[in-house]
Amino acid sequence: MSARMSPDNVVVRSLAQIGDCGLFLLKILAALPRSTRYARETVRQLWFVGAMSLTIIMTCGLFVGMVLALQLYHVLSIFGGTAATGTVVAISIYRELGPVVTALLFAGRAGTAITAEIGLMRATDQIAAMELMAVDPLAYVVAPRFLAGLIAMPLLSSVFCALGIFGGHLVGVNWLGIDNGTFWSNMTATVDVWQDIINGVVWKSFVFGAVVALIAVFQGFTAPPTSEGVAYATTRTVVASSIAILALDFVLTAFLM
Amino acid sequence: MNPSAPIDDVLIRIRGLTTVLGRKKVFDALDLDIQRGKITAIMGPSGTGKTTLLKHITGQMRGDAGSIEVNGENVPDMSREALYALREKVGYLFQNSALLTDFDVFENVAFPLRRHTQLPEVLIRNVVLTKLQAVGLRGAAGLMPSELSGGMARRIALARAIVFDPMLILYDEPFVGLDPIALNQVLKVIRTLNQTLGITSVLVAHELSAIQRVADRICLIANGKIVAQGDPQGIAHDGSPWTRQFFGGEADGPVPFQYPAGDYAQALGFPEGSP
Amino acid sequence: MSQRKSYAVGTGLFIVLGFAALAYLATQTSSIANRYAGATYTVDAKFANIGQLKERAPVKIAGVRVGQVESIGLEPNTAVADVKLAIDLRYDKIPADSVATVFTSGLLGDQYVGIEYGHAKQYVAAGGTFSLTHSSPPLEEMLGKFFGAGGAADAIGGTYKVTAHFSNVGALSAGASVKMAGVPIGQVVSVVAEPTKLDAVVTLAIDNRYNQIPDDSAAAVFTSGLIGSQYVAIQPGGSPDVLKNGDEMILTQSAMQLEDLIGKFLVNGSGNADKKDAAAGK
Repeated sequence: MSARMSPDNVVVRSLAQIGDCGLFLLKILAALPRSTRYARETVRQLWFVGAMSLTIIMTCGLFVGMVLALQLYHVLSIFGGTAATGTVVAISIYRELGPVVTALLFAGRAGTAITAEIGLMRATDQIAAMELMAVDPLAYVVAPRFLAGLIAMPLLSSVFCALGIFGGHLVGVNWLGIDNGTFWSNMTATVDVWQDIINGVVWKSFVFGAVVALIAVFQGFTAPPTSEGVAYATTRTVVASSIAILALDFVLTAFLM
Repeated sequence: MNPSAPIDDVLIRIRGLTTVLGRKKVFDALDLDIQRGKITAIMGPSGTGKTTLLKHITGQMRGDAGSIEVNGENVPDMSREALYALREKVGYLFQNSALLTDFDVFENVAFPLRRHTQLPEVLIRNVVLTKLQAVGLRGAAGLMPSELSGGMARRIALARAIVFDPMLILYDEPFVGLDPIALNQVLKVIRTLNQTLGITSVLVAHELSAIQRVADRICLIANGKIVAQGDPQGIAHDGSPWTRQFFGGEADGPVPFQYPAGDYAQALGFPEGSP
Repeated sequence: MSQRKSYAVGTGLFIVLGFAALAYLATQTSSIANRYAGATYTVDAKFANIGQLKERAPVKIAGVRVGQVESIGLEPNTAVADVKLAIDLRYDKIPADSVATVFTSGLLGDQYVGIEYGHAKQYVAAGGTFSLTHSSPPLEEMLGKFFGAGGAADAIGGTYKVTAHFSNVGALSAGASVKMAGVPIGQVVSVVAEPTKLDAVVTLAIDNRYNQIPDDSAAAVFTSGLIGSQYVAIQPGGSPDVLKNGDEMILTQSAMQLEDLIGKFLVNGSGNADKKDAAAGK
């Protein structure tokens, strides 16, 4: 509410949004026990936000791995270190590009869909109808989407990374002629399961998934019930998610590494 | 028919309801009794808070003062759980039907059943088809909401509202935007539901002719109060200026044609007192 | 209903695919891939110095991986590293007098344990020990062996010690080589700060073979290449007297800081600015 009273102050408005968003998270968490009986709805949402995002995630992962191998090969060849291409591709994908790019794509693909869907459900009184049918929309609409985002992100991120490694291998070994054994053995010698895969891929993308899903459901649920309001909320989901992902990436890296 | 009717006959008893939204006083110590088993129509000029009144009855909104007793329990005092328990016994028909666009017609009607019960699939199917049959749309079970016309959507929403055999149905503008055929179909369903199942019905609507054909009782709200009430035939002739304007269709009266504004001449820039 | 089922199946497939990808990453592209699923037996090896050797580092014979370092510990009450090697059971015919050496793969690569076959008829058994080991050779020593005649380490004729004061030694540390004309002639024994003069005192141990160094020779801290390690270079003077044990070298040139150098190169006055800052700091 304070946001509307001082529309000129971006800082106050952003803080109010973050505060509202945090309170909304508490409401979702409180609704989680009640949403357990809607497990099937969570599965359905997992299909929409997770499985339906696979195509874009896989395509992008492949190309990111390919371009990374191409770039690194040329830089590393200056130092005669092309044998390290596999290692550097793997490390950069696991620690940064995998979780971050997946989260950005996830925000664009699934986050906007969630916001628009919930926003339209509110605009067309579907949310109110659920409340009047004694179905808690927080437990039935919001929590399953939030949970789905939480679960889907690490899985999508893993798929992205696997495709990235595949793309790097394709370019590095098949096109540029790095030795296959060197590519893999250098990678396996350097990549650490705990540091790079659990901390880098799984944990980071879990946090990103939570943040993107939270922002998406929050923007959708609080969107003004007009076509303009829903459109604006969708835009804000992408903007806020992107900023949050990159800022959190720095914080998480500082803490986890 | 009068305020001192036996307690059993009154399903909803509203006393001294006062609600202020922003600067506007929507309800000013409003008293209203809704008779059990009857069809009550709530009418009034646009913007007098008829839909808001329905939202108060279902607990979606809370007033600033007063009590709303539904079946002997005071809604504003209810906990979340009690409120949800009450809502299972109340059907609500939205102006725009509010069907869930994700699901087809069958699943829309089955939605409350699936959420609140663990009934076997066969039983759910039977209940849903029965309700669809009651609104005459059993054949449309496989359609998606986007494939329905406005009247069909409203009847489906009605089937969904009655799937739990509620004690009370609230209709928010059920006739808006319907062609005469669809209007008559909805009217027929409302009357049938009331007569065969004895469901108490509250209608918010503007269509006087339609209401006169279906309602047992009409309440006229204006300025946050009930200004007139009575049976459809009697109310139009009770002599109050409100009913004369509302049912007589006069443009000016207690509800002014002009929205309150400053002096006209002054607004146009003429000096005061000039012809 | 069929609609619901297809969601469930699709979602299930998605989850399986995600976990399969994760399992693939974890097992095929990380160090877990190097773990042996097969049975292994453990052999001890004791080293005076293992350098940068880490657990799970490979154990190789003739360059072929046969196992990995299982654990690294310190022998109680001694300065001997106790390294346990897990070797694949397929390679159970390793002669007992084989030599275990800590090697570095390439110039900058990770370290590993290499086993060179001996000639004994007995084979080393589980729980046995490689009694012959070579410790991790310091890079400087190796380079010294490679480049200079008689590295700093094998000072057969004994050494004599001289000291030199530097205002800044950069990253010079004990063990760094001392070179004259690019040839290693000794090594740095210690680098300590002088409490009163607030500068660094470096003690150099110079091979007795090089006992004709003029006592007005200058000592300078140089860096080998851009990112190489630092060493002390001695530039001979012209005095008839020579340096003896316990002497102090008067003429010194401190380590050049790369930052200063770049600063001087790019902006003419940044070196001065630094000095002003330093002065202000004092």
